[in-house]
Amino acid sequence: MGAGMTTAIKALSEIEVVSTEANNSERDVVDKPTTTVALDYGEIVLSNDEKIRMYGIPGQRRFDFMWAILKTRAEGMVLLVNNDAENPIAEMLAFVEDFRELCYKGGVVVGVSRSEIAPQPTTGEFARALAEVHPELTVPIFTLDPRSKDQMQMALLTLIVNLEMRETFGEAGVQQA
Amino acid sequence: MTTSPQNDPAVVEAASALLTEMKGVSVSLVYAAFLTDDGFDVARLPSRVTDGPRFASMASSMQALSDAVAHELRIGGSEYLIISSLNGYVIQLRVPGSLMVLSALFDNDATVGAALALTRTYAARMTGIVGG
Ligand SMILES: Nc1nc2c(ncn2[C@@H]2O[C@H](COP(=O)(O)OP(=O)(O)O)[C@@H](O)[C@H]2O)c(=O)[nH]1
Ligand SMILES: [Mg+2]
Repeated sequence: MGAGMTTAIKALSEIEVVSTEANNSERDVVDKPTTTVALDYGEIVLSNDEKIRMYGIPGQRRFDFMWAILKTRAEGMVLLVNNDAENPIAEMLAFVEDFRELCYKGGVVVGVSRSEIAPQPTTGEFARALAEVHPELTVPIFTLDPRSKDQMQMALLTLIVNLEMRETFGEAGVQQA
Repeated sequence: MTTSPQNDPAVVEAASALLTEMKGVSVSLVYAAFLTDDGFDVARLPSRVTDGPRFASMASSMQALSDAVAHELRIGGSEYLIISSLNGYVIQLRVPGSLMVLSALFDNDATVGAALALTRTYAARMTGIVGG
């Protein structure tokens, strides 16, 4: 919660976002008025019959049933990590574990948010921690601000290119990227 | 900062007492829980049908999704939602004027009308306690 998933979908979507915000009763954990309890939904239209459907999920583990529903339909995932959280690297690793299949399909990029507030750990440290646990995974990791449409588009584009390489060249394509 | 309902012992106790009373009124009531908008269990009937915290989170997702659908279709806020199944049904509604939801599971011996009336009554009773 608070990494900017809802903000990111709003920045990217070309349609009015479907949101499921509820009063946040854990202001002591993350001080913001609302939190996502089911999903955010947005779209980017590519052509008449092609569009990117984007789902934002609630990050709290108590909503893992929503993760289960959405991850079976997902082609790829932008994993936003709040660098201002207690232990952002551990959070990233836990989500990679929970979305293991998607990650191993080459369908993940990691976006580290709030890095202007909390510059540590660096993306290099994220990458090293990930490589230690998952040496065979190649995951693009960058800092970004979910409020910025440009930066979110860059993350999404990277994800799409990764997925396309995977489709064209198989696993090796992603490994070498 | 106001205390969240799930952390307010007076609210938790009142909610538990209401659920116990509700169970006493309807033998068809299998399970019921008060929960916060963001999916925390405030009080629940003892039950083996579900894990309370997990159900509370699911119920909050359902509530938010039905509100989103009602908003999308421009039919006003959703008043209640019903899931009707072979072996029972779930009735869920907001505690009027509060940031809580009451969700109740009934067996098929009760009519939907009676179950809805009962659930509404107890949601309103909760409003009387927490204010609205
Ligand atoms: N300063 C700063 N604020 C951010 C950044 N990313 C997100 N935010 C803010 O943090 C809050 C995140 O809220 P939200 O999008 O609801 O988070 P969610 O729980 O991940 O959906 C919003 O108020 C954003 O404007 C960032 O990189 N820097
Ligand atoms: Mg959110």
